Amino acid sequence: MFEIILLLVKVVFTLVIYLFILGVIRLIYLDIKSMSVSKVHNAGFYPYLKLINRREMLNFKVEENYILRKSVTVGRNDKNDIVIKDPFISGIHAYIMTENGTVRIKDMGSKNGTFVNGVRLNEGEEVPLKDGDNIKIGNVKFLFVSTGR
Amino acid sequence: MRGAITYRWPLSLIAVFNIIGYLFLFFSDSPYNPMTLAVGAAATLIICIACFVIIKKDYGDEYLILIVSMLLSFGLMMIYRLDENLGIKQLIWVAIGFVMFFVFYHVYIKVYKWDRFAYIYISLSAVLYLVTLILGKNINGAVNWIVIGGFSFQPAELCKILFVFFLASYFKNPDNLFLGERIRDERLRVLSNRALLMLVAYCNIGFLVLQRELGTALLLYITFLVVVYVFCKDLKMFLLNSAFIVPGAILGYFKFYHLRVRIDAWINPWADITDKGYQIAQSLFAIASGGFFGTGIGMGRPDMVPAVSTDFIFSAICEEMGIFGGVAVVLLCMLFTYRGIKIVLGLRDRFKKVLALGIVTMIGLQTFIIIGGVIKLIPLTGITLPFISYGGSSLVASFIALGILQAVSNPRFDRIGGEADG
Amino acid sequence: MDENKKIIQVLVAICFLFFIIVGYLTYIQLFRSRDLMANVYNRRQYKIEENTARGNIYDRNGVLLAYSEANGEVQERIYPYGALYSQVIGYSSKVYGKSQIEAAYNNVLLGIDDLSQVFGMVSGSNYPTRKGNNLYLTIDHKLQALGGELLNGRKGAVVAMDPKTGEVLALASSPNFDPHAKKLEENWQSMIESPDAPFLCRATQGLYAPGSTFKILVTAAAVEKGLESKVFDDNGSVVIDGREIRNSESRAYGKIDLKRALAVSSNVVYAQLGTELGMESFVDITYRAGFEKEIPFDIPTSKSRFPYENMNKIDLAEAAIGQGKVLVSPLHMAMITSAIANEGVMMEPVLVKSITNSEGKTTKELKPVKLGNVMEKSVAEKIKIMMQEVVTSGTGHNAAIKGINVAGKTGTAENELSVKKKAKAHSWFVGFAPAEDPKIAVAVIVEYGGSGGDVAASIARRIMSEYLSN
Repeated sequence: MFEIILLLVKVVFTLVIYLFILGVIRLIYLDIKSMSVSKVHNAGFYPYLKLINRREMLNFKVEENYILRKSVTVGRNDKNDIVIKDPFISGIHAYIMTENGTVRIKDMGSKNGTFVNGVRLNEGEEVPLKDGDNIKIGNVKFLFVSTGR
Repeated sequence: MRGAITYRWPLSLIAVFNIIGYLFLFFSDSPYNPMTLAVGAAATLIICIACFVIIKKDYGDEYLILIVSMLLSFGLMMIYRLDENLGIKQLIWVAIGFVMFFVFYHVYIKVYKWDRFAYIYISLSAVLYLVTLILGKNINGAVNWIVIGGFSFQPAELCKILFVFFLASYFKNPDNLFLGERIRDERLRVLSNRALLMLVAYCNIGFLVLQRELGTALLLYITFLVVVYVFCKDLKMFLLNSAFIVPGAILGYFKFYHLRVRIDAWINPWADITDKGYQIAQSLFAIASGGFFGTGIGMGRPDMVPAVSTDFIFSAICEEMGIFGGVAVVLLCMLFTYRGIKIVLGLRDRFKKVLALGIVTMIGLQTFIIIGGVIKLIPLTGITLPFISYGGSSLVASFIALGILQAVSNPRFDRIGGEADG
Repeated sequence: MDENKKIIQVLVAICFLFFIIVGYLTYIQLFRSRDLMANVYNRRQYKIEENTARGNIYDRNGVLLAYSEANGEVQERIYPYGALYSQVIGYSSKVYGKSQIEAAYNNVLLGIDDLSQVFGMVSGSNYPTRKGNNLYLTIDHKLQALGGELLNGRKGAVVAMDPKTGEVLALASSPNFDPHAKKLEENWQSMIESPDAPFLCRATQGLYAPGSTFKILVTAAAVEKGLESKVFDDNGSVVIDGREIRNSESRAYGKIDLKRALAVSSNVVYAQLGTELGMESFVDITYRAGFEKEIPFDIPTSKSRFPYENMNKIDLAEAAIGQGKVLVSPLHMAMITSAIANEGVMMEPVLVKSITNSEGKTTKELKPVKLGNVMEKSVAEKIKIMMQEVVTSGTGHNAAIKGINVAGKTGTAENELSVKKKAKAHSWFVGFAPAEDPKIAVAVIVEYGGSGGDVAASIARRIMSEYLSN
């Protein structure tokens, strides 16, 4: 009887260790994946958000560029595609949609609002973005860069 | 969308690991020892809380700290199981280590211009070495301990960090660091700088050799080679310096009796199994007896292996947690190295790059050297397994290194501007 | 950036080093762990032993031959029949290690198998007492006891086998010794130094000239060559290349055929036969019979020898009568005899019939294994008939059992002392019964026992009749 318990404990123990390792690997993998969202080597085909603030002035981690290959959500929550831990940014703050070459931004009911060129979006309002637009989400200011066709 | 597995999962797994382990130790004891529960609870709490704080407050790369926490858990549990007192002491050192982590993290960030202090690094190292030589106590054949009122520590551990700082400051400003303004002629300046670089490096190594710390000397040497390889424009320096291993090894072999003993024991421990080969043989017995899943914590006989809480802790892990347990440790070290290198790749400032590379290389190589020595892959050396072996100095030094690495890796503080040299 | 490339190279190099570690660890566990666990300096082994109830050893019918008794903290190995099994089961002592079955089946007796090793179930020290497995030997205790009794302290061996399955029914060897650990410690030195060599298991490792028992193989070679009906001239002695070969007491038998020659064990006829057969025949038949080959067995054996690089007429003559450089072990003779009894098929000798775990469940049962074909069935049949003649009308009449057809062959092997007339020759007998459906084959040798037909044949008779009467 003892032998069975012992065997069980040993196997479970080993499992815990390897689940942990797997978890870490998974995290790293996800991290790498999200890094590709902000790769500097953009071939120039995709539009991207360029950070205007000075990074060292900010108290949280944020990238210089976020490439918009597909529709992305922006917010403080870990589940977002673009995660920015700015306390002034809501859990799910904004949604940037890419469709047929046009990019639109929509506010997801954020507390402090989403601003395009200084104008605050209404909740649920979708606004198309063009090259050179300024976007402000919480304390973070972006320049929207899109390559003309 | 990000996956559901965030850092919470791995962190809770660390907690689960500790809980299962210590509970099992507790219940398999007769009579029950409440100290096990106390230490287990303390260990779980300290490690998990520190880990949590570091991640939440964004003290740098979270994966590194997760990996380190798991390694700490392995080590702490094993050491407690081997010796209650050592376990408690190690726990205290871990706590101190975390404190040191935070301290040096902030220290690093607050101080600018780390790259200007090259001469301080050199002199500080020299002082530490001299002090060790003069005051040092000979423990286990190596004169590298300083005992102050009951506490013993190894200055060599600090010298390792100072050396990496020195290398970083040199490569921030290579060929110009020494006597930069005095020598006008370019060729002469480059040459003399390189010569002085090598001089400092080999003095470090030399001091360590004098202290009989051959393992650490080897570690510094290889780290030096790696940094030179990566950061010197041409291969000449690298090739030149790597050639030194040959006379070094030969000299060492003939000069140092205990080096010969170690090499003999590595080649054939069975020939002199009661004497020279005893440690390695017992280590192999321990590893073999655990099977793949181990005997179970507290169920094996790792106490039959000499120096098991320090040099041979890995053998104990293999015995009681199985080959899978040992492989897990290796994988964790591999992940640590990988993650560390990833950080190095992302750094733009030369100084930070060298610093980070030096730290990561040193920790990674240290792990390889000691594990390799313990399983008879390479000759045994007297260095510790970072974060796992018992030892205050080793632990604190590793935490300091980790703190600096984390500080360096935090992009918030990418203040020291300027592009790296092309 | 070029630097980054180099940094990645460093990463790859370090990861490669780590992979080597993983590989080496796996290698150690897969390939070296057994040796490491068995290493004398690995004190864990002793801990395992202390913590394990070592399995019992029984004869084929369940007679207890060896068991362990807890004596406080220590376990003592008890052998109820003492010296009788000292060379079969061997001993198990902390000081002197283990021998024979105790050594060969050590892991089984301690309950160590590969699966539990993988799960590290073997060497925990705080485990509650583990139980080892039990062994059931093929030995029939009644036969073994009888064999020991009949040898009566004389140097020699008695081997009995089941010719169809290869099971060894008796393996008595004399002299023997008391295998209990305490006695070992008392007597070790003197036993090691004794010229009687009590540690030597003569049955399996003693090598002797087979003498006339070898003629059964020579006859087989002759039959294969078609010489069975040949008639020879036996004048009591013959000179071959200057060497005189005589019958026992120089008896002359006149013109006799092979059958008669075997029955009376005519050296004259066989010497001539040997020269006629030639070396190739000899090498061929001895090879098939397993000479110069390792005999697979549960305990150590010695190879039988037929070391001739070339053979002149004298060699041929001497070999034909089982002298010269021919050497054989009693076990091997029993195997050869069994082969003849078993239609020419030699079976692998087996000592362990089955293994049961501590709860009595059988975990392993022996399956008879064929070793090889020594001769064709037809040839074996003919030899069988001739060997029956040996017992009914020849030198082996002492082996006759009332109501049972016994086949056999006597042997009187000259040895270094007997040629100097300082002692008698070795007394051999090999045989099997019942001839029409052999159930038991025996090989008996009594050193310096004199004529095979006297001492050895009587012992063989007793053994066979004891076995067959049940």
